[in-house]
Amino acid sequence: MNVEITTATGYTMVSVEGRVDTTNANEFEKSMMGVVESGSARIILNCSGLNYISSSGLRVFLIIQKKMLATKGKFELCCLRAEIQEIFDISGFSSIFSIYPDKESAING
Amino acid sequence: MNNLSYVKEFSIVNQIDELTRVSEWLEQLGEELELPMSLILSLNLVLEEALTNTIQYGYNDEIQHEIDIRFEKTDESVTFVLTDDGCAYDPTLKTDADITLSADERPIGGLGILLMKKIMNTIEYQRNENRNILTLKKIINQ
Repeated sequence: MNVEITTATGYTMVSVEGRVDTTNANEFEKSMMGVVESGSARIILNCSGLNYISSSGLRVFLIIQKKMLATKGKFELCCLRAEIQEIFDISGFSSIFSIYPDKESAING
Repeated sequence: MNNLSYVKEFSIVNQIDELTRVSEWLEQLGEELELPMSLILSLNLVLEEALTNTIQYGYNDEIQHEIDIRFEKTDESVTFVLTDDGCAYDPTLKTDADITLSADERPIGGLGILLMKKIMNTIEYQRNENRNILTLKKIINQ
């Protein structure tokens, strides 16, 4: 797994690549919490390179969403691959996140 | 009647980093049998969820335990049989997570078994001679 963080005016873009599973979900959580704690009011998570996620990874997505909602911030996702979208659909996550098809539409909100 | 076309067995010990070996084994299996990548990813997810539960919650001691994974493929289905000597635990009895709740109301966790149930067609649990035997079957169209 690789996480890249880019700060722009009005948002922070986080790109995650590879697998988020039980073996590395803690590491992913730390990276994401770092972004939340930096005070960013809008986080966009670019999932174009995310090719596998298990419930340990989904757990982190939900934790970040709760944290951001609590501070009236925004946590949005973009570029989910079909396999990942399917996991989001069956776990009911598609309805609790704003999911954009590409980076541009996510940035434009 | 299904003719058994392919059987493979694999064992791990009760440590989380063994899950990496499981994914590699499964990927290799997928290549050998020319299974679609999307199926391999789904099966990987199911195995990870089941094995994580066993490894994290199944043992009350510090001793190393073995968990056996048996894979069977016929023309119609793929089946995993997971056998461990951990505490008795029947995941089929667990109430499904409520996926209609809002993000605020959603409890953290509890999705693993739901994912297993949604991806596989049948999940059966048996306790036999102090071992948990979990059989997970998925119908495939090939």
